[in-house]
Amino acid sequence: MNDQERLTRFESEMLPLTNDAYNLARWLVQNDQDAHDMVQEAFLRAFRFFRGMRGETSRAWLLRIVRNVCYDHLRKRPGLSNSSDSDQENLPDTNPSPEAALQTKSEIAAVRSALAKLPEDFRTVLVLREMEELSYREISEITQVPIGTVMSRLARGRQHLTDLLKQMRAKDLL
Amino acid sequence: MTCSEFQKRIDPFLDNEVDLATAQEMQRHLEECADCETFFAARLALRQRLQTPELRFLPAADLRSEIHAQLQKEIRPPLAHFNWLPRLQFPNWILPTLAGAAAVLVFWFGSTTFLSPVRSSNGANNTLIEQLVSNHLRSLVGNHLFDVASSDQHTVKPWFAGKLNFSPPVFDFSEQGFKLIGGRLDYLAMRKRQPWFFSTRSTISTCSFGPGTSRVLCQTRFFRRKDSTCTVGKPTA
Repeated sequence: MNDQERLTRFESEMLPLTNDAYNLARWLVQNDQDAHDMVQEAFLRAFRFFRGMRGETSRAWLLRIVRNVCYDHLRKRPGLSNSSDSDQENLPDTNPSPEAALQTKSEIAAVRSALAKLPEDFRTVLVLREMEELSYREISEITQVPIGTVMSRLARGRQHLTDLLKQMRAKDLL
Repeated sequence: MTCSEFQKRIDPFLDNEVDLATAQEMQRHLEECADCETFFAARLALRQRLQTPELRFLPAADLRSEIHAQLQKEIRPPLAHFNWLPRLQFPNWILPTLAGAAAVLVFWFGSTTFLSPVRSSNGANNTLIEQLVSNHLRSLVGNHLFDVASSDQHTVKPWFAGKLNFSPPVFDFSEQGFKLIGGRLDYLAMRKRQPWFFSTRSTISTCSFGPGTSRVLCQTRFFRRKDSTCTVGKPTA
């Protein structure tokens, strides 16, 4: 297989996963430009190791690289990872009635900021499980921790998120 | 199943990651226990909220094309698909260098074997050499090495005869270690009726012969070194 063929194969297999890769990266680094760069870097790394792919599905494989690139990035600039406040606006309107739309919007914004406040490890497994709908096995391959750890992170992450949302609602009511 | 057992397994249950027997047991408990049902309903609601499509982030429109451009840069640019010229990127200086090498080779061949001496200081000859070099290079980089592929003079010669109004003498380079592998029509500005044998360190060599007028079709025959185990296009040696 020459380079051009390899690239063609790689792109036909991987480029359709760009949105998934971006969503994960964006949730991890919490910033548009960084997420953009992370995905590019991840694709480059993925292409370099493309031959080394084994039994995993390509999505899990690519997302593992995205996750690693993002974690490398976050490790380099600690402290900035949990600062997300830019996501309240520009949510698409899907509801016909303005009141309902407003409610949905604030609802989404609440979940968004609560999820952004979670520690990275919890956020990662939740994004992978709920948004990418990956299995425990795949999540364990991506995050490189045992399945038992995935399970407990999901449980604690969900509990944490529920508590955060409760707190936010309580604050709104006060 | 107790409530604490149920709540311990609620997440794998929600995620369909428990075995069938456990799942059935939990389902039964769910129907019996109102507290656990409320707990489970809350988990389901949370899932629903997390799965709202609006929660997903979408990349900028140009991300894909940027990735594509970056990957294109990553693979070796032109000529990348010629495995048999591995890692060779033809930089700008290669053509003059090859032309120089070719001039030396033509000199050497001319003086030692069958060509009349070439005056390389002659401008016309230099242009010719450049043409030969570019023809030769072209034959190496394209897929189309020959118009007629045959090791038999009696196939190659009549093929040329049907295309051209002149017929050059047949050269046999087997003593020099080169075996005929085919022929092709080329354009060359040749002043003299003279064969030009052209060889580089690659395994393919060319011999061009023109009718002696300027800028006309000429014959190019291809030869391969006999001692080489290579096949055309993908030498293994």
